[in-house]
Amino acid sequence: MTSPASRILIIIPAFNEQASIHNTLKEIWALTSVKPDVIVIDDGSTDATAQEARSSGAHVISLPFNLGIGGAVQTGFQFACQRGYDIAVQVDGDGQHDVSYLKAIIAPVLNEDADMSIGSRFMPQQVKGYRSSFTRRLGIGFFVHLIGLLTGCHIYDPTSGFRAYNKKMIKLFAKNYPHDFPEPEAIVLARKFGATIKELPVVMRRRQGGASSIRYFKSMYYMMKVTLAILLDMLKTRRLAVDYGD
Amino acid sequence: MGIKWLAFILSLGIFLFVIELVRRERLTFKYAAGWLMAALLAVFFSIFNKFLFAIAKFCGFELPSNFIFFGLLCAFVFLGLLLTVFLCQQNDRNDRMAKKIGILEFELRELRKEISKKD
Repeated sequence: MTSPASRILIIIPAFNEQASIHNTLKEIWALTSVKPDVIVIDDGSTDATAQEARSSGAHVISLPFNLGIGGAVQTGFQFACQRGYDIAVQVDGDGQHDVSYLKAIIAPVLNEDADMSIGSRFMPQQVKGYRSSFTRRLGIGFFVHLIGLLTGCHIYDPTSGFRAYNKKMIKLFAKNYPHDFPEPEAIVLARKFGATIKELPVVMRRRQGGASSIRYFKSMYYMMKVTLAILLDMLKTRRLAVDYGD
Repeated sequence: MGIKWLAFILSLGIFLFVIELVRRERLTFKYAAGWLMAALLAVFFSIFNKFLFAIAKFCGFELPSNFIFFGLLCAFVFLGLLLTVFLCQQNDRNDRMAKKIGILEFELRELRKEISKKD
């Protein structure tokens, strides 16, 4: 089991989230069960996201320009890797993720039951919160089957960004992390390296401000792009294996 | 002026223009080399066009002009793909730098805070 004094880092990627970042951080500070460090990755925001986060007491890494969600999260992994954190948790800055589930999300990773755990909206017999639009759910359903087919692992919510990772995953993702719409791809990547993934039921909320980075979800574009990216990722094994072994 | 001379002047013009770009440091030799080779080849074929006709005939083209157009099309498709690879490399390097800069800037701010606390 990972030591009870494990160092936990919450990575919050944020792009123009000035309206919601303060509340997200306030909820994290209010937690009593876990006391993690928090790093906000300001992904080239044009509003006051970084200032809001700093004034709320968080550490902030400001990227010089917008890299997209994958680039921002990977910056967090690189930071966690450099600082030797044991566990990294990804939490969205838009207030969708209820951090009261943080302890539950971390538990499988902390107990070494899994390398990566995912907070899921769609597990059977769970309390229903915000579950995204119908078209998005259709897309999610498609990825559930695609990922299941390719990895043999049934993930109910492959697009959820509420995730915890152990040191092995931090090291892997610090070097290789998909960029554009990374969550489904990251699962495939993790499985290719033999990672064990656990899903836990969580209730999510509507975003409290800002705009979603997945604006193209309504069209088939997102699905086609991610599907192609996942299939191409399946061919990358050798290069990634070399990188991981470094 | 015959087509032979027009092709010769154009090819030579491209060759000299690329050299001028290298001289002005607008183009590095690494990227200019391919253009110089292509321009030299064009100069050669504009002078000794019989070689061009022979190759076209050998490849099964009825008209040498069709062979030239086909060759140019292939060359530009390849060039386009090559440029996309360079673009991806540059993009990847920019991304890596942006992440490093972000983390370094954070560490610098932390160090400054520590120093000002000690002072």
